[in-house]
This record gives sequence, C-alpha cells and structure tokens, in this order.
Amino acid sequence: MESMKKLGRILMVEDDPKDVELTLMALEDYNLANEVIVTRDGEQALDYLHCRGEYATRSGGHPAVMLLDLKLPKVDGLEVLRQIKSDGLLRTIPVVVLTSSKEEKDMVASYTLGVNAYVVKPVDFHEFVNAIKELGVFWAVINEPPPGSVKR
Amino acid sequence: MARPNLQLRLTHSPVLRYSLAVTSCAIALGLALLAQRHGFRNVEVQLFLFAIAVTVWYAGIGPAILAVVLSGLAEAYFFSEPTYSFYITRNDLPHFALFILFALLLTWFSAVRRRVEQQLMQSRDELQREVIKRTQQASLLNLTHDTIFVRDLSDVISYWNRGAEELYGWRAEEAIGKPCQQLLQTDFPVPVEEIRAELLHTGRWEGELRKIKADGSRVVVASRWSLAQDDQGRAIAILETNNDITERKRREQDIQDLNRELARRSRELESINKELEAFAYSVSHDLRAPLRHMAGYTELLQKKASSVVDEKGNHYLAMILDSSKRMGNLIDDLLAFSRIGRAETRKTLFNLAQLVKDALTEVRQDTEGRDISWKIGALPEFYGDRSMLRLVLVNLISNAIKFTRTRPRAEIEIGCCNGSGDDLVVFVKDNGVGFDMKYVDKLFGVFQRLHQSDEFEGTGIGLATVQRVIHRHGGKVWAEGVVGNGATFYFSAPRAQGQLWRA
Repeated sequence: MESMKKLGRILMVEDDPKDVELTLMALEDYNLANEVIVTRDGEQALDYLHCRGEYATRSGGHPAVMLLDLKLPKVDGLEVLRQIKSDGLLRTIPVVVLTSSKEEKDMVASYTLGVNAYVVKPVDFHEFVNAIKELGVFWAVINEPPPGSVKR
Repeated sequence: MARPNLQLRLTHSPVLRYSLAVTSCAIALGLALLAQRHGFRNVEVQLFLFAIAVTVWYAGIGPAILAVVLSGLAEAYFFSEPTYSFYITRNDLPHFALFILFALLLTWFSAVRRRVEQQLMQSRDELQREVIKRTQQASLLNLTHDTIFVRDLSDVISYWNRGAEELYGWRAEEAIGKPCQQLLQTDFPVPVEEIRAELLHTGRWEGELRKIKADGSRVVVASRWSLAQDDQGRAIAILETNNDITERKRREQDIQDLNRELARRSRELESINKELEAFAYSVSHDLRAPLRHMAGYTELLQKKASSVVDEKGNHYLAMILDSSKRMGNLIDDLLAFSRIGRAETRKTLFNLAQLVKDALTEVRQDTEGRDISWKIGALPEFYGDRSMLRLVLVNLISNAIKFTRTRPRAEIEIGCCNGSGDDLVVFVKDNGVGFDMKYVDKLFGVFQRLHQSDEFEGTGIGLATVQRVIHRHGGKVWAEGVVGNGATFYFSAPRAQGQLWRA
C-alpha cells in the first residue's frame, strides 16, 4: 500500500505499562503500533535519540514523532524536552506531550520549551482512544516529518 | 537700685555741684576761724582739704577745682601772714604751694576712686540683673518636662533641671558637682571620642543613649548635646537634653518581633502552599492515571465480553464506567477548586453583563430541550478577576438550570441590587426545588450536597468554588431558599472605585 510506505516511526516515552498497553491498543486499529518504540524513562529516551547505551547499535534516523509523558523516572519529561529542543541535531523532531496533568504550569513550561503539541489524556476511554488515534494518524501519516526521520 | 540713681541726679546738676564746693569751703572757713578764735592753730589746712575731699566725692572734679581755688584764696587771705590780704610772703610760698599741690592730688585721687567705685556699682547692678535673668531662665527650664543638664568639659555636672530629677531620680543637690558618667553610667553607641570630636566640630550631637537611673533601672533616651561657648568661642560646657524613649523603643522592639513572627508565618504558609501545590500536582497526575486505566480496561472488557456476560454483568460494568467517569469529574473539580486558592487574582475592570452572556453561552448545552424564561437585569461594571468571576456565574447559572429541571417552565433571574456601603450585590434567582434554610450553612462547604446524587448530579464543589472566588475578592456569599419554591444566591463584592450603581 502506498500510504503504508509513508508511515513514520513513533517514539513513546511512558513509564506506566498500562498506559503503554492502552496506547498501543489504540494505535493498533490503524496499524500504527508496529513502528512504535517504547522507552520507559527519560534517560532511555535520550539514549535512543543519541544512539547510545542499549541503543548504540540501532539503525539511525529520528522518529517521525515523539510521544512524551511528563512524569517520568530519572530524567523527567520537561528535562527531556529541554534537552531535545536545545540540541541542534534533535530539535527538529516533533514532540507531543501526552500527560495526565491539566496543570497550567506544565503546559506553559512545555510551550516555552518549544513543544509541538500538548495533549491531556482523557479519563474516558473512548476519548482517550480517539485522541491517540488522531495523534498517531496526524503525526505518523499526515504530517511530513523533518528530513532524517525514519520511514517504513 | 534707687540709691545710685539719686546720687547721679544730685551730682548731675551743675548749680548744686558748684554750690556744694562753695558751701563746703565756706563751712571749712567758718570752722577754721572759730577754731582760731578759741586758740586752736593750724587746723585750717586739714579743714579745707576735708572740704575739697567732700566736694570731689559728691560733686566731681570741676567743683573740686573751684574748692581748691577758694580754699587757696581763703588760706592766703585769712591765715597766711600778712592776714586779710592775698599777699603771700616768700617764706609761706612753699607751704602754700604744697597745700595747693596736695589739694590737687587729693582731688585727682578722689576723682579716680569715685570713677572706679561708680564702675564697680554699675557692674554690680548689671550682675544683679544678669542673676535675676538667669534665675528666671533656670526656673523656666525647670518648667519643661524635658530633661536638661549642663556639665563642664571635665564632665562635672553644673546644672540639673527638674526634668532631670524626675527622669533620673537624682536631686539637683545630689547631681551637681558629680561627674556625669559616674552618676548615669551612660552606654554610648559609638566611642565617646567620636561624639566629642563631632561636638567640638559642629557644636552639637544627637543620638540614642542608654543610662541608668538612681534606682538602678535602665532608660533609653534620645539625647541632644549642644556646646556652650564663651565670647572668645572657647568651649566651656555641654548642655544635654534627654527625652525618655524607653517605651517607644520597647514598642519598636515589639513591632520588630511581630514583623519577624509575621515573616516566619508567611514563610511557613508559603511552604505549606508549596506542599499543597505539589500535592495537587501529584493528585492531578497520579490519581487520574489509575482511573483512566480502570475505565480503559473496563471498556475493553465490555467490548470483549458483552456477549458472554449476562445483563446484570453488563450493568455492573456500566456502573464501574459511570463511577470512574464521576471520579474523573470530582478530581477535575477538586483541582480547579484548589487552583483557585493558589492562583493569583488578576483584577481588571470589566462589564458584568457581557460576562453573564459568556456564561450563558457556556451552559447552553444544559438548556437544550428546556423551557426557561430568562430575566436579566441591568448589571454594572465589575472590578475583579474575569475568569474567576466567570466560573462563579457559570456555577450559579448551571445550578439554577439544574435545580429547575423538574419545573415545566423555569424562571431564572440575574440582577444586581445595592449592598451596604461600598459593596454591590449580584443575585441569581430561580423557581426550582429550593432548599431548607436549616441547611443553609452546608451549602457552600466542599463536598456538601443537599440532594441525592440520582436526583441531581453534582460533585458538591461548585458552590465551594463560588465562595472561594468571592472571598478572594473580599466579598460574601449567601443564599435564601424555600423547599419547593426556588432559591436565590447572592454574592457581594467591593464596588469598582468611584462607581455608583443604582438598581
């Protein structure tokens, strides 16, 4: 299929396994789950992006989008965001903050750091699934990612 | 005072003065002739000298010279051979010349002495006047409540007024003559040499000093020093005035202590606020996540197992979903409520009528399929936090919509009436189910509800939020209601400055 070739890789940073499962389930409906890379904390996510540590041998290229939780073990989401957006090589990666928090201060901080989108996970499962699907379709399919992103 | 004046008047009249010369010489001549008649010889010279002395003393130098001349002539005429002639023999010439010289000398000495005595008397009078003046001044200084004392440059006290007696408890007799430092044990804030240097340079010094009273208690005084100088500009004494500021200092100290306490409490509050913020933050994150998971997995289960689970089972699943949704709403409302407590109010002047329109737009969804008669009165400008006030109006209006649900035709009125003083009062009135005034105190509490949740849904946070917002604006909230006959909710707030509102 022509559209399948344009699918981008999604990097998910999420420490909660249930959230991972539910998110993947939502993405599966659109066959978007296969190219999702899951990292469980901020450090792992940065290792992935810098191709170091356990990801030292991975094939290169940036993800088409990064779904970033804010409350993360070790390096928290805002710090990850700050490092990405202040790194000349990584700053073009679209970052979507996907968080439980409705806190205004997190939102302001994220936008100040240059986040590309800010999504509060709805409690209602329907809404949650819809939000994830729309995100996945938009960033991995519709949006033209910056040069250097990995495509299927 | 009268005596010297009389003397001066006597000696100032020339006629009297010269008459005195003539008279005294005439008396001396008479006495001398009388003495001669009775055989006493050589007394005339002494008598004439006496007359000259009297004249010079009481009449001055001019009449005295006249007296010398007259005495000389009388001596030559009556007592020198040949008598009854002004001719003087050669032998008598030295005797006569000596008499004249001696008379002149006596005149001169007496005149000098007279002048000196007059000067002395004048100085004495001046001194007396000065003493009276000083005494008056000193008694005036005694009238003041200020503490005033004078000490010389070797620190010995020379003056001590009544104020000083009252403040320090030493009587003037006890203080005068004593070294000041020994008496008052002054505690200087800066080296005393510095104070002296400034005093000598500028002539004055001001500062706070601690001293000790006669009874041993401590006193703080505002002290002012002035340097007294003589005519040549030499420093001779230091005048010190003291005001007792012990009480003022104590109050200042109290205020400082209170301020410190206030700062400490405000730091405490700040840290509590921070903790609350952290708490709310973690509630917002950590409580919502498991809820989302519960709802998510339940829904997945519902999808997968609805065919194998019986009707009851499906009902249970629906209840779980409903509860998680409700919990989600509760958490959201609670967070909004806590945010109002923490957020800073950004006050502006805005149109309340426009805000009511905005609020009505926001609750439009709830009015679908309802027959509601809206009555919206004139509304004034409002000074406050616009988004917070919108929350208030949305809450009150949606309550009115909710609790009139059982009415075929709901009537909701929004208006403004004059409050007491500078407050304006806004009300939202409905013809809904109302409430029992017995429970009016519970209305605005968090999680307090007066209706069962299957009757009227709600989290019990709305009115608490309203109250919190209005309190933050310095206003009040209250309500009136009758069971089955509607409710009116009021809130007051300080009127925007200079604005007069007439309902």
